[in-house]
Amino acid sequence: MEPTETPTQRAPAAALFAALVFVPVLFFSSVIAGREISRLYALAWALFAGGIAYAIAATGRVSSWRRVFFSTSALAFLVHFKLGLAGKAFDPTCFKDTPYCHIAMAPYFLNYLYQQYLALMSAGWKLWGPLTLGAVWLFVTLALGRGWCSWACFYGGIDDGLAALPRRPLLRLGSWALRLRDLPAALLIFFMLVSLASMLPVFCLWFCPFKVTGTFLDAGGWQRTAQHALLYSALAALLLGPLLTKKRIFCSYLCPFAAWQAFWGRLNPFRVTLDPALCTGCVKCARACPMTAISCAPGGRPEVSAYCNLCGECLEACPGAGFKYTLFGLELPKTAGFFKDLFTAKFFYVFSALTLGAAFSSLWAPAALRDIVHWVR
Amino acid sequence: MPALFSEGFLLGLSTGFYCLAACLPLLAPYLLAEGKAAWKFNFAIFLQFLGGRFAAYMLFALLASLAGKAGRYALPAQLLPACMAACGLLMVFLAAARVSAGGAPCLLKKDLSPWFKRLPLALGFVTGINVCPPFAAGFIRLLEMADIPKGFAYFGGFFGATSLFIAPVLLGTPWLGRRANEIGRLTLLLAGLWYSFLGLKGLLVN
Ligand code: SF4
Repeated sequence: MEPTETPTQRAPAAALFAALVFVPVLFFSSVIAGREISRLYALAWALFAGGIAYAIAATGRVSSWRRVFFSTSALAFLVHFKLGLAGKAFDPTCFKDTPYCHIAMAPYFLNYLYQQYLALMSAGWKLWGPLTLGAVWLFVTLALGRGWCSWACFYGGIDDGLAALPRRPLLRLGSWALRLRDLPAALLIFFMLVSLASMLPVFCLWFCPFKVTGTFLDAGGWQRTAQHALLYSALAALLLGPLLTKKRIFCSYLCPFAAWQAFWGRLNPFRVTLDPALCTGCVKCARACPMTAISCAPGGRPEVSAYCNLCGECLEACPGAGFKYTLFGLELPKTAGFFKDLFTAKFFYVFSALTLGAAFSSLWAPAALRDIVHWVR
Repeated sequence: MPALFSEGFLLGLSTGFYCLAACLPLLAPYLLAEGKAAWKFNFAIFLQFLGGRFAAYMLFALLASLAGKAGRYALPAQLLPACMAACGLLMVFLAAARVSAGGAPCLLKKDLSPWFKRLPLALGFVTGINVCPPFAAGFIRLLEMADIPKGFAYFGGFFGATSLFIAPVLLGTPWLGRRANEIGRLTLLLAGLWYSFLGLKGLLVN
């Protein structure tokens, strides 16, 4: 919306935008969460998403309010799902199959293909797990692209929330920040290859910090010790990394799905684009970018890389308001009337990301709210 | 002899996918690290890799036939982890040594002599000596035959068929650029560390 307008002047359009987000989220949340718990929890979650939409539209600030939504969703995931896992014991063999988690999806892509090939060879073609996951991923990528990592990923919300806590970084990565930026791509290829060779979910067994529990790590002795060591290193990267550096260390340097989405996210039309005429070369954007996705191009101007997950932090950091959301680098034509403020790439993107993120998190957020209400009682 | 060649070839055809899966973590990072946007260049790397693999197969054919003649029907327990460790350490060396100057994450900052830079032949050889299940099946057949020329024919057929499965890896290489090379080197390093760990663990712990 026009930066000259006050929040009060923006209120009607903001209310309309909030309603546009609230209605579909309420629908999906009621359908998803309403199967098992009271629809009141679904309503509460949809109201929260609508509130975030209103705040973004009224203030014009995307990233700050996005972070509130994103971190709340991640916390809800921890409350409902992960804390529930911690107390359970698992049979190690149940983790030999490829798990259905979006981070796991990328490193086991070749395994999924192989499973599908086996299904074809055994005179069927339907292997619903990988096919469903593939269809969902395609939809998400077309609708949201790399924005998944800043709006919907229940793990990214932890990293993002923690990165926002310190006022300034205690540890600066210097030139290594960019030098190591391709590490997730290498990790992705590595995990794809060794998972296929060993027919095991190597990322999950060896590296994923989100499993929280070590109950299903296989074997004893050395191997188990090494697996634990990597698990704790990854946990440290997830929890301490952002607190020390103000960067999303796990998402930027270790997450194979982030690399996967950086590649395929090009299918999605939304981009963060810099207007060179408004850039003074202060590089505040590069310092603010939690994903280390901005580098200095020759001539001293910032350049946004494919690792950008459209979080919007640089939009807020740039003193000249040089960054904006675009569609393949282009703005929508300006319109007149009541809707003119909403008819921009920015609001199409925020609508798409927030609605999808909130609908997806209906899988756990209303249930987490129910858990908290039960504990309080 | 042609019958034995065909038998080996058929074994290779029926287990080729497993050979592909086992060889990919070694060959793909190397091609990614060293390949260029020139198909011929990558094909030359691939041929060298196959050459090394062929040499390893023939060496195993010889050893298996000799072992069969001597009436020894089991592989030494340390052989597999030792081969894996050798393979991993070579990959780590290749990744560390070949990293070129110019801002790349590297262990050794300067380029080494060209002789050390490109060792697909050696990589093919250590890939070949990595005993995978299809390879072990062929190996047991050789122990049983205990005849060197027959062993060569049998493993020659096996090598030919399995190479057909590995060849499609070349298809993706004509798009390789400098950035892909850097990613490939990091992948080579990771894969090398992985195999070194598994191999050394097998040697020291088991
Ligand atoms: S470039 Fe901007 S929008 Fe993209 S990740 Fe960095 S701060 Fe976020």
